[in-house]
Amino acid sequence: MSEKSITASRRHMGLKAASRVSNTLIHILLTVISVIWLIPFVFILLQSFRVESTWQVGYVVPKTWGFANYINLFDSDFPRWYMNTFIVAVVTAVLQTVIVLCMSYTLSRFRFKGRKLLMRFMMILGMFPGMLTMIILYRVLSDLGMTQANAVPGLILVYIASSGMGYYVSKGFFDTIPKSLDEAARVDGATRFQVLKKIILPLSKPIVIYTILTAFMAPWGDYVFAQYVSMGTSAGKNVAVGMYGWLNKDQIASRYTMFCAGGVLVALPVTILFMCLQKYYVEGVTGGAVKG
Amino acid sequence: MKKVLALILAVMMVFSVCAFASAEETYEFDITVWVAEEIKDLTMKQIEDFNANNEFGIKFNATVEPVSESEAATNMIVDVEAGGDIFCFAQDQFARLVQAGALAKLSPEAAEAAGAANTAGVVAAATSGDAMYAFPLTADNGYFMYYDKTVVPEEHIDSMEDIIADCEAAGKFFSFEMESSAWYLASFFFATGCESEWTTDEDGEFISVNDTFNSPNGLIAVKGMKKLVDSVSHNSSSAGSAFASGSAVVVTGTWDYNTVLDILGDNMGVADLPCFTVDGVQYHLGSYNGCKLMGIKPQVDEDKAAALELLGEYLTGEQCQLERFEERSWGPANLAAQGSEAVQANPGLVALNAQAPYSIPQGQIHGSWWDIAKVIGDDVKAAEDEAGLQTALDNYTAKIAALFTMTSDEKNAWTVIGTCNLTDGFFYTDYNNETRSNWTDDIPMVEEDGIWKTTQAYEMEIGVEFKVRQGRSWDNAFPADNFKVEEAGTYFITLDPATGAVELVAE
Repeated sequence: MSEKSITASRRHMGLKAASRVSNTLIHILLTVISVIWLIPFVFILLQSFRVESTWQVGYVVPKTWGFANYINLFDSDFPRWYMNTFIVAVVTAVLQTVIVLCMSYTLSRFRFKGRKLLMRFMMILGMFPGMLTMIILYRVLSDLGMTQANAVPGLILVYIASSGMGYYVSKGFFDTIPKSLDEAARVDGATRFQVLKKIILPLSKPIVIYTILTAFMAPWGDYVFAQYVSMGTSAGKNVAVGMYGWLNKDQIASRYTMFCAGGVLVALPVTILFMCLQKYYVEGVTGGAVKG
Repeated sequence: MKKVLALILAVMMVFSVCAFASAEETYEFDITVWVAEEIKDLTMKQIEDFNANNEFGIKFNATVEPVSESEAATNMIVDVEAGGDIFCFAQDQFARLVQAGALAKLSPEAAEAAGAANTAGVVAAATSGDAMYAFPLTADNGYFMYYDKTVVPEEHIDSMEDIIADCEAAGKFFSFEMESSAWYLASFFFATGCESEWTTDEDGEFISVNDTFNSPNGLIAVKGMKKLVDSVSHNSSSAGSAFASGSAVVVTGTWDYNTVLDILGDNMGVADLPCFTVDGVQYHLGSYNGCKLMGIKPQVDEDKAAALELLGEYLTGEQCQLERFEERSWGPANLAAQGSEAVQANPGLVALNAQAPYSIPQGQIHGSWWDIAKVIGDDVKAAEDEAGLQTALDNYTAKIAALFTMTSDEKNAWTVIGTCNLTDGFFYTDYNNETRSNWTDDIPMVEEDGIWKTTQAYEMEIGVEFKVRQGRSWDNAFPADNFKVEEAGTYFITLDPATGAVELVAE
């Protein structure tokens, strides 16, 4: 008995040591990977504070530090582009979240004729790359007067127009919430909307956060469509399109460090958002798949 | 009642006269102008000058948008209607813009004036068929060599080999964009006399190319290129800022002048490109000599079109070009502006001028060419021996040939090409208007009983030369030496493909 327990504890020790070694190795690997992954970001951050010259150089750490690049940003069209991007992203995030949640709730809880057909249809429609519709969308927006300087409402319209089709994840999550909860609430006299608001949504915080984040991210980083819609006008550009213009051969030498500073400012809200909501985000992505 | 009616009519007449008169006197237009960001404010000022000084009372309410010259075509082609009324673009986009109907043809008077006032190469770049479609803006879109005097001594700047040795010895880079840009790597081919000349018709469509990159001279060019790309000091870049990251030599253009000056200060040297040596023979590196143009969008309103043309003429005139030079060092295309003392004294433009004898004007070039040709640099680097270099050139030629996939009828058809001095508008006029045709365009022939014959008779003088060729290429062409006209007259040209006999048949 005692021998047995000794060997058991020995084996136990061995396991512990082995796991410690493998843990150390894994951590070293992870550190190396994260350093590699972080280098470009650190690089951009450092370059944005370099004020001794405005072009690309062969070293990373600035010789003279300062905020001149950030200050210069405000003398350019950057604030305008930033505002455009921000407005488009926030409005899209709000509207798209509302639409997606309503859609998911409806498809999860209501039973109506053509429901399955509708779901399948939207899935197939969603398989076509959105880029295919670019030219025709441009024409429609142009006829509505929502291009160039008026690109902001045009872009919002385009981004939210098909948002109903992105219901899969949140519908999957709603399906995992027992229907009996709804029924109990209904018996107590709650309307459908009250059920969504007071019962479903509080239970699905992670998925709401996930929806908001994805809805915010898409327009925040869009280039291709934004470039088409704002064609030839500075006032309608978003940050991605506007700053890309600084990479031209006749501009890059005087704008390179400003470009880095702009990049930092663009990354800022997204980083903050992710840091605050990270906990929910991970839950949200996996939540629909695991529960139930 | 009649009196009242008469009165009303009279009042109406007075009003209508007033309306007519006022419409006659003020020409006020809202326009959008696309220019590079760096000349945005200057252009605004120049348009105001035009508003204040023009003799027709034209007033433009201009919105000036910063759109890079390199992206003008991409933007215009999205939606010509929404595009800028006046826009600047780099010449390589010219054919695309003409094809897209984004450029209004200049009136003959404007074309003539602009043609006479500006450098011939730039005028040619703005011409498709025999019509001019844009005003010359600059003539400085070429490249030359900047170098660090502390690394490369002045006596070495004429030899590429010496420069490479200096850079290697100092552990510095020789930056010359060979891996991603056909514009720069063509330099080696032009050095050995190779050419790649494209012909467009009036609609901006490419109809033929005369490309001799794949030739014995081309092989010499890639051997020279191999010397550079194989050196450890070679860096494929054309950014002036490369001096800040270890380069001692950078081949780029005037747009990097201030950047390089900031980095190198007194150690900055500028010069024309060096020579390279293959088999004991020296070849001076060539270059493209490009330009920027200012185009006007086709307008519905004729008055507006005419007014815009006047504005375009003003903005590209001597005074405005000089202002751009003074403020932004943009090298003028205007001959008078080029002659000014300040322009003559600008070191960057001086180097560009020194390079000029070795440069060729960048005419109309097929949009796909840039991508086809830019891989030569990588292929040359990868090549292990002369056969590998030859393969690189063969691949290049095959891709060029594929651009002109002709129907079998077109490939079989015979055409006449030469210097026939024709009286109709069939041939392109050359830009100096001295001879009517300069081996630039083919005249069609039709087959009848196995004999090919031109569809009409052409007036020819003594000394006119031509050949008859098949499929608009030189694989099959008769006679072996050019056909020379020995007696002036009006002739049909005939060919018997079976015997290769070319004959003139009097009308």
